[in-house]
Amino acid sequence: MRRRAFLKQTAGSAVVATLALRAPAVLGQAKPFAGVTIHGASFQHVFHSYLKEYIPEFEEKTGMKVDFTTQAFPVYNQRADLELSTKGSAWDFLNVTFIYSGRWIGAGWMTPLDEFTSDRNQTPPEFDAKDFVAGAQSSLQDAKGATYGFAWEAGAMITGAARGDLIEKAGLKMPATFEQLVQVCEATNGKDGVAAFVADKLHHWNWIPYLMGFGGRVFKDPPDNLTPVLDTPQAAQAAEYYANLLVKYGPPGLLSYTDDQAMRAQLSGRANIRTQAIGWMTPLAKHEESKVKSTARYELMPGGPAGQFPGSNSHGFGIPLGAKNKKAAWAFITWAMSKETLRRVSLEKGYAAVCRRSIIDDPAYRKAMTFNGQDLAALYLKVLELGGKSGYMKYRTVPVFPQVGDKINKAMERIATRQQNARDAMKQAQAEAVEELKRGGIKLDA
Amino acid sequence: MSAIASAGRARARAAGPGGAALERRFHWWCLVPTLAVLGVVTLLPTLYLLATSLTPLNLTQPATQWNFSRPLRNYAFLLSDGRLHGSLWVQLKLSFWTVSLQLLLGFAVALMLNLRSRTLEALRTVFLIPMVLPPIVVAIIWKVLYTPDISPVHWATAALGWPLPTLITHPSYALGAIIVADIWEWFPFTMLMILAGLQVLPEEQVDAARIDGAGPWQLTVHVVLPFLRGVLLVAGLFRLIDSIKAFPLIFILTDGGPGTVTEVTNYYSYIQAFNFSQLGYSSAITVILVALTVVVSALIVRAVGWGHSGE
Repeated sequence: MRRRAFLKQTAGSAVVATLALRAPAVLGQAKPFAGVTIHGASFQHVFHSYLKEYIPEFEEKTGMKVDFTTQAFPVYNQRADLELSTKGSAWDFLNVTFIYSGRWIGAGWMTPLDEFTSDRNQTPPEFDAKDFVAGAQSSLQDAKGATYGFAWEAGAMITGAARGDLIEKAGLKMPATFEQLVQVCEATNGKDGVAAFVADKLHHWNWIPYLMGFGGRVFKDPPDNLTPVLDTPQAAQAAEYYANLLVKYGPPGLLSYTDDQAMRAQLSGRANIRTQAIGWMTPLAKHEESKVKSTARYELMPGGPAGQFPGSNSHGFGIPLGAKNKKAAWAFITWAMSKETLRRVSLEKGYAAVCRRSIIDDPAYRKAMTFNGQDLAALYLKVLELGGKSGYMKYRTVPVFPQVGDKINKAMERIATRQQNARDAMKQAQAEAVEELKRGGIKLDA
Repeated sequence: MSAIASAGRARARAAGPGGAALERRFHWWCLVPTLAVLGVVTLLPTLYLLATSLTPLNLTQPATQWNFSRPLRNYAFLLSDGRLHGSLWVQLKLSFWTVSLQLLLGFAVALMLNLRSRTLEALRTVFLIPMVLPPIVVAIIWKVLYTPDISPVHWATAALGWPLPTLITHPSYALGAIIVADIWEWFPFTMLMILAGLQVLPEEQVDAARIDGAGPWQLTVHVVLPFLRGVLLVAGLFRLIDSIKAFPLIFILTDGGPGTVTEVTNYYSYIQAFNFSQLGYSSAITVILVALTVVVSALIVRAVGWGHSGE
């Protein structure tokens, strides 16, 4: 053997040996989880449909079978709530939903993940937990900073128009204020058979930016003071405004729309504007079934007299306390949330709402997130920045939010179907929320 | 089992006066396994429900599970819960319309199918299809029919120039939409029971009435209906109890909305338990619902009576 060849071989072996020593032990084996099946669940989301396309590669690599089911948002949350509260073992990993994160983590129903991340045998160094955007991770941590999940979505609410061309034809621009939003809807509704506005029925997510834009709030001072403040004039004004958007400019049957139905209405070009998390908006320009790729337009969430308050949240994968296959579940999470997988989902599928700083800062991501000349990544970062600034999203992670959110949903339905005017509906929502919270033993202002 | 019982009776008779006690004891021993199973399956969960209703059980606070410090707290809350009172009114409307229309439609179709005809005999099976479908499938079928984007009904009516409003999101029609779907699903049950009753109606009674000059209407009112009273009562009670348990149609079609227009008590109890984790309060609602169901059923049995089919 020649001297050069010998040196090359030795150096190569040293690199391989070093990598092997640094690699987690579980990945050192050929198929470390052969014969293991893990079960996981989440609510339906485009991210999951993208991720599912890559799961066979993970199964092939590890020998593990991944049974990952998704359900409608409320259905999943109810099931997960029950499953976690009974310390059930049906699921090995699941989604920690933003509005339930305070409740699930606070009640001790989730497995702390720090013991995994600090274990070199179970976590590859390139996983780099610190690469996740701190704001997105905050709802997945407890008061002491222990981590219970890793975020797959930082939901940043923006405005997406499927038929931006109709707005341009009307001589208008993408709306930046509530007033302009109504103007645009008024000018374009019904043109080409397109409804001007569309939304899903989760009003307690969609409506809050409008409530805050008009100067209203959900609670007095969350998380310290959970007294609801839904009966203010600002709340009534915001409710009236939003209900009008739904009724006057929405397609028939809008009040029963799920997230997916709303997205389909936009993809098919039957509905135009929606204010929703960015994950539901990029498919307009990227989804293979989209008929509106060339006409999709994006803008920040419109602002009201009190400012701009686009919704921002985060959802992440975690491991239930009662899970049977925690090691396998963790291996799945480290793969699904790895830089490599998220990079592929982001660049190949056009998924914008990634939570890894290294991907967001990558020029390839910025390029992939530029649709029809619009820099979506910039919008995304702007929303995350706004959300982190004043902490206005704190209302959403308090454990009692599901109760109060339900009252908001019901009130909005009553207003939109003209069963009640906005003032009375919000008064009723306030009274019901107060009664509900008192029943749950929450201390409220007199 | 009856052979064993006969043997037991024979032995008891042969044993003289002490034999009756022996027979009673034998009967009790036969009943013990059934009662034990019934106790475990029905009584224990009911007792647990009752016990839970006396606590402020909240899933996020495990310490509340056996807290009996204020046992009537939940029941006191029931009195001031307007949404619960509204749900009872919705329940009353849903039960009244579904049970009465299912009995009416079931009776009409059963009368038709009771005629001797091969075509009608074949139709019997077709009529049973909705009843044998899983309830969630029925709910999805109606969800499709009621969703304007994909509904052939909406397309057809729009093509004819009579566009329908979205029934499940319209406060005036949402409950009606659920009633229609429920009737479609369950009228075959009442039809089947009534048809079975009609088929054992003694021919002599019908013939005698005809000889006395009764027309079809009089025959139905004075002969058939009194004969079927027991069957109608049982079918009605089954449907009433089922209507109080209505869930899949409401869950899939309206989620209790718009607002609370279609929110029945059982659904409200579910929301309290599984959306808000208030299991104690939800149990109190369920206890009241069970009590109301028992009382209403007893009143109906008393008012209607079991009929004269055996006389």
